[in-house]
Amino acid sequence: MGIGKKVFMSAMVACSMLAMAGCGSNNEAGGNAAAGESIKIATDASYAPMEYMDTDTIKGFDVDFLKAVMEEAGVKYTITNTGWDTMLTSVQQGTEYQAGVSSVSITDERKETYDYSIPYFESTNMIMVKEGSDIKSALDLKDKVVAVQGATTADTLMSDIMGVDNTNLKRFDSNAVALMELNAGGADAVVADIAIVNEYIKNNPKEKLTGILDKENFGSEYYGILYPKGSEWKAKLDPAIKAVIENGKYAEIYQAWFGEEPDTAALLNAE
Amino acid sequence: MDFRFDLIVHYLPVFLRGTLFTIGVSVVSILIGSILGLGIGFGKMAPKAIYRWPFHFYINFFRGTPLYVQILIVHFGLIPAFYGTTNVLMTSFVALSLNSAAYSAEIFRAGIQSIDPGQREAALSLGMTKWQAMRFIILPQAIKRMVPAFGNEFIVLVKDSSLLALVAAPEIMFWSNTMKGQYLRIWEPYLTAALIYFVLTYSLSKLLNYIERKV
Repeated sequence: MGIGKKVFMSAMVACSMLAMAGCGSNNEAGGNAAAGESIKIATDASYAPMEYMDTDTIKGFDVDFLKAVMEEAGVKYTITNTGWDTMLTSVQQGTEYQAGVSSVSITDERKETYDYSIPYFESTNMIMVKEGSDIKSALDLKDKVVAVQGATTADTLMSDIMGVDNTNLKRFDSNAVALMELNAGGADAVVADIAIVNEYIKNNPKEKLTGILDKENFGSEYYGILYPKGSEWKAKLDPAIKAVIENGKYAEIYQAWFGEEPDTAALLNAE
Repeated sequence: MDFRFDLIVHYLPVFLRGTLFTIGVSVVSILIGSILGLGIGFGKMAPKAIYRWPFHFYINFFRGTPLYVQILIVHFGLIPAFYGTTNVLMTSFVALSLNSAAYSAEIFRAGIQSIDPGQREAALSLGMTKWQAMRFIILPQAIKRMVPAFGNEFIVLVKDSSLLALVAAPEIMFWSNTMKGQYLRIWEPYLTAALIYFVLTYSLSKLLNYIERKV
């Protein structure tokens, strides 16, 4: 190998290391970590306020919750922003990342491919319309044009109501684009997680938007930590999740992000 | 790794509809794009620099910015400005046509300029008008040279139409994303989409080879 090639190779290695360091990976050491046990967790940090990037740091409710769980379990961990698709494949394989934490709703169809932790968050989908809209409930959406983020439970729910092959159900790449579609008049409503809708309405008071809660048609759904099939981490971390919810740490984090008390009883009974 | 063919079978009907959408949008856009491109290509060959400038700018803008951004601008900016609301079918036609026109313009210009100037001079010396020289002498020869480049542009357009999933156009990638969301599985939807695109572009290239031999 010539000297030029060596220099080139080391430059390449240096560059890729820099690139990896820039990927937004938060390293957190667990409190009283047992020797060597550690878990690598993937997330799609584009879902404020649940998980999002603040320049190069991952923040959000899920991130704080995860920290509490890992401290409770005494496990070292890293959380990395891999994006949605990479998270799904790498967690399914379980070699690079052993878990995914990214507001992933627990559904039966998905359980065919993944294991889930016990539920750690109760959510529901919410309808967002412009003020003065005649839409009052989820069933009013049947003949309307509805925008959702594809590959979410909002998508699944609306597919059930409108039909999976109905092109009036517009699936966008992200909630942000779905919301733009509503503002541009291309959709009558957006359906998304309640936290997302509330955050958006709060941040955009000029758009004159209203959120509609329809507990009857959009039941509660629960987020879980995503594991590969047969993962041993489920048994290790489930007790820690339960403890964090029971000992009040969970309520503290919840209060800090959403300004209200969580219904922890419902959460613990949800399984 | 397990591969769930049953999920693909379940989604096959909508994938087929997505394929028809992709084909329809691509064919219409390549047609509109080449008509626009012909005009823009001639514009860029205008004798005076002041006339050339807008065409020059058009080509550079559409070749120099990602189609991803162009689709967003057309969908949320251009179409609502005319219609008052978004319209995904219009977005699909307009964004792809405008983009394709920029590339077609360069194909036309290069094709026409590749014809030896002597051909034109000969035609003019026979008493043909400038238009007749273009119509009967230069264009027939140039078009023969343009066919492979056009074929390439068409294939690129078919693949690029996948970006329309960004604004929820019901094409192949859109249904692929839908399938992904229901099962949180990656390979079944993406490989199915890849296979469909491959079949489309491969048959297209075979067809184009045939046309190349004929012209």
